[in-house]
Amino acid sequence: MPEIFKLAGVLIVVVGLALRLRTTLVVAAAGLATGLIAGLPLVSGLPALEGVPVLTSPGKEGIINMLGRAFADNRLMTLFIITLPAIGLAERYGLQEQSARFIRRVGAATVGRLLITYQLFRVLMGILGIRLLGHPAFVRPLVFPMALGAAEAEAGARSVEAIPEKEIDRIKAGSAASENYGNFYGQNLSPVQAGILLVYGTLNAPGIGYAVSLWSVVLYAIPIAALSVLVAAVQFLLFDRYLRRRLSETR
Amino acid sequence: MPTLSNIAGALFSLDAVYVLTGLALWVFAALNFRDRANANRLGSALFWLVLGVVFILGSLMPHWLTGALVLLMVALDGAGRVGHRARAGETTKSGQAVPKEPTLGNRIFLPVLLIPVLAFGFALVFRLFGGDTSRGALVGLGFGGVAALAAGLRLTRGTAREAFEEGRRLNDSMGSVIILPQLLASLGVIFTASGVGLLIAEGVKWIVPGDGLFLLVVANCLGMTLFTLVMGNSFAAFPVIATGVLVPLIVKPFGVDPAMAAIITLTAGSTGTLMTPMAANFNIVPAALLNMRDQYGVIKFQIPFAVVMWVLHVVVMWLLIRLSL
Repeated sequence: MPEIFKLAGVLIVVVGLALRLRTTLVVAAAGLATGLIAGLPLVSGLPALEGVPVLTSPGKEGIINMLGRAFADNRLMTLFIITLPAIGLAERYGLQEQSARFIRRVGAATVGRLLITYQLFRVLMGILGIRLLGHPAFVRPLVFPMALGAAEAEAGARSVEAIPEKEIDRIKAGSAASENYGNFYGQNLSPVQAGILLVYGTLNAPGIGYAVSLWSVVLYAIPIAALSVLVAAVQFLLFDRYLRRRLSETR
Repeated sequence: MPTLSNIAGALFSLDAVYVLTGLALWVFAALNFRDRANANRLGSALFWLVLGVVFILGSLMPHWLTGALVLLMVALDGAGRVGHRARAGETTKSGQAVPKEPTLGNRIFLPVLLIPVLAFGFALVFRLFGGDTSRGALVGLGFGGVAALAAGLRLTRGTAREAFEEGRRLNDSMGSVIILPQLLASLGVIFTASGVGLLIAEGVKWIVPGDGLFLLVVANCLGMTLFTLVMGNSFAAFPVIATGVLVPLIVKPFGVDPAMAAIITLTAGSTGTLMTPMAANFNIVPAALLNMRDQYGVIKFQIPFAVVMWVLHVVVMWLLIRLSL
């Protein structure tokens, strides 16, 4: 089979997501299709199936085994579930309303300035070498409600009902984006972070063999990190202008 | 005879936190099972039960069994058997719970702030003892969740049942999106084992236009970004692009500082991460976590930023190379 057929999985993902089919199903189908086309056995380590072609093949890890191994290895991505009862309880007792009230008292707060501040905070965490799942720990319980509070103050409203749903969705998106911006570019400012270690490891590997130091990699991460803060600040301030215009229209 | 440090090591390990998470999932499963108002109660209960099993036993079960359980979850979701719609009046317009008693003032922040504080504290302690800080932060996140729950119950005088009902509400509103990051990580592993990465690297080399420095820098950054768009992960793309394109075509012929070229190539991949649904943990899960109507809303917000940043990557890399020649 020509090599190019291995891209079938990529095609399945693109078409499946474009058609808005169920994402879990699309991803699983793409994995199974790619693995089978590449000649990987479906499953390995099952004595009962030994010797059956396609299903197993001696010495090769099966697709289902890979699926299970990677799924278990990456449980850390889903660890935030453990925080949901605490966050849900605090929300039931007014966490989001209090966040909004808190930010309304800060007179100079706007959505954009708040998101710039949060991004800088995340960059600082990166410099300190801390990686955190910021979306569940900060964005949902604190950053988004505060941003909403700032927008309410701007709209001269006391409650969220005054803000159109489309704008609420944009504020949510901006809150999530400020987390990603700060996380992605801030994390390269510390030599203990995974990205720096990956670059270091790849360059020092026997096949390439450049003896670079961790700190030189960090040093060259600074220009892009600084630009990311600037570009994001421009985007968030433009977002402020957009919100001001939209919110004064709907008042 | 287990020593004290052995016990502490086992107690404050990632596996311990996985077990706690699995137990929370089992509670969500039980609450779903008892919820007669949910038409999907059996499917949903089974889905969260199985995910809980994977969390608790994932380090012990044979991989084929975990894989089969994952396929079972996918089948349940594919058949539309997972999910729960919030009943009218349960949430406000922005998807928040209707607050019961908003009179606690700023004290309501205390339990929630325990989560990042413990994550931070564990990371520091892990570093002091020569451990991995990222792992420490994750373990801290887990115990922070438990500590925050305890503190929240004390502060609000609410019940554990109430907390888990609220937790389930958040969990169910995300639904099967929760397993997407892990599923995509698995897809990445299968792609890599099948040689899809090498195929894309070949494709990038094939589109490299001549040997002009600027166009090579463009091709390098473009290759990295496209690769990341497909794999959803710049870390998977980097070694392939670095060894296949960056080092042989730019670093060696032009005598470029490898550290500079490499880190800028890596973050060129991050611009791709901002634009792809394949990076579900950064782009799709947050949209679900915030109850956004458009699951691609986060990506749409990030695209203008990512495009500008991508251009800047090309310009900065090219300038730094020109200045050093």
